[in-house]
Amino acid sequence: MVTKEEIMKIAILSKLFVAEDEIDRLTEDMQEIISFADTINRASDAEGDFDSITGLSNALREDEVVPSYDRERILQNAGDSDDGCFLVKNIMK
Amino acid sequence: MKYELVAGFETHVELTTNTKIFCSCTTQFGGEPNTHCCPVCIGLPGTLPKLNRKVVEYAIRAGLATHCEIAEISKMDRKNYCYPDLPKAYQISQYDKPLCEHGYVQLSNGRRIRILRIHIEEDAGKLVHRRGDTLVDYNRGGVPLIEIVTEPDFRSVDEAKEYVEKLQLIMRYIGVSDCRMQEGSMRCDVNISVRPQGSEQLGTRTEIKNMNSITFIAKAMEYEYSRQVDLIESGEKVVQETLRYDDATNTTSSMRGKEDANDYRYFRDPDLVTIHVPRERVEEIRASLPELPEEKKQRYMEELGLPESDALLLTKYRRIAEYFEEAAEGTNNPKTAANFIIGQIFRSVETETEKEAFDVAVSAAQLRELIGLLDSGKIRMNLAKATLDKMLETGKGALELIDEKDMGGLDEGALQALCRQAIEANPKAVADYQAGKEKAVKAMVGYVMKNSRGKADAAQAEQTIIGLIKNA
Repeated sequence: MVTKEEIMKIAILSKLFVAEDEIDRLTEDMQEIISFADTINRASDAEGDFDSITGLSNALREDEVVPSYDRERILQNAGDSDDGCFLVKNIMK
Repeated sequence: MKYELVAGFETHVELTTNTKIFCSCTTQFGGEPNTHCCPVCIGLPGTLPKLNRKVVEYAIRAGLATHCEIAEISKMDRKNYCYPDLPKAYQISQYDKPLCEHGYVQLSNGRRIRILRIHIEEDAGKLVHRRGDTLVDYNRGGVPLIEIVTEPDFRSVDEAKEYVEKLQLIMRYIGVSDCRMQEGSMRCDVNISVRPQGSEQLGTRTEIKNMNSITFIAKAMEYEYSRQVDLIESGEKVVQETLRYDDATNTTSSMRGKEDANDYRYFRDPDLVTIHVPRERVEEIRASLPELPEEKKQRYMEELGLPESDALLLTKYRRIAEYFEEAAEGTNNPKTAANFIIGQIFRSVETETEKEAFDVAVSAAQLRELIGLLDSGKIRMNLAKATLDKMLETGKGALELIDEKDMGGLDEGALQALCRQAIEANPKAVADYQAGKEKAVKAMVGYVMKNSRGKADAAQAEQTIIGLIKNA
């Protein structure tokens, strides 16, 4: 069973804020998701390895340089930028 | 009570491919921030990573050179953590199916450091912290790395130092990385714990992160060892934590930051297909590996008869070994080439980088030519040495620098004549010698050498002079 504590832990890991009144509903949802995954796990026991359903291997690239993007384009979606860099709030305490 | 140090290493080595691991941006070091980037390596949604063939090949080379088994089936996984150096909030790495496993590095004291695994992964971006905010540069993001993880097999700081040096040497030899610690292309994390001597149980370990010099690694390990021993002695407990080493104060301190919870929620990256390494390919790569430094050193000692100290110096950089082999090829005695290189030529290369490139003014072929003149008796050692100095200065070949008339030895008659002249010109030296000062003869030998322009054999000249004085 999924516990409320686990939901809070996942919320912290995902950097999500979860309000007190949302926890019960989220716990139920998560339980359903896990149950669904269990169903899939049972099926894979019978049908073999579902780890990679495409069956593909070695889609490899040659080691040849292609010009990179202009910096303006790289930074155009940045929330904030300075000195050619992405700018984020200080994360070191 | 006596304590024993127990340590394990995780070493990140940047591969010298031209492009990043999952996109075709350049891996060149430096460059203006965010100019080696594309939608893949800045993690834009909807982009598809594609694995660089060379990364797989290089990792296999590294695995084979450290006696690992190469997995036939391998895959990429996502390691989730939220930190701005990773634009996707996950790093693509390998979890339960690394490319290489179960190898070792042999130390000179006979012990083997077991390698648990070598896996491939992408490097993170670079952060510059300012007051209140952080600048992010993703040029390094997506640069290919291998992470080499050992078992906790180290029992001393010296073993750790030797291991890092050996690893550096091996990776450079097989051409997969330049391992420049100061530029960050090789970085070590050290897990360290202590236990009472003789105990089988491992103590609580701490992890010192991201060290980029062998000196710092040694100092940090020494500091951390005494800190843990002190804690235990005073009845306290070592806390399992991640530490940062500060070289200015030579202390370690607790690192807070990305670990909030060390729960990486690894899962297979669905964007990247299975890596299948056919057994024939492994054998092809194995066959293409150069002779490794350790094997080379043994061969220099056993087959070429060099002393261990010479063999060690000559194999420390691949270019130097190649240079030596080319210069010594076909000459009478490899020791001559070794002496010239270690003695005179080494003086012209000072820094690590210069030694690595070994781009010296005298080519190996030119040195071989000089040794050839010596071997065939056309010139004597003292002239050869002087000529080599001139060659290093001018970059010219020996034949250009040595006068035709200085070639060839002196015949018996000419030597006799010169020795007589030397005796006549140095009456005081003769008197000194006769009075029992044996060293006085050197002045006369010097005269002969000078006036024969180095063609005379010094030992032969000395015998002749002594003979002449005694028979006078």
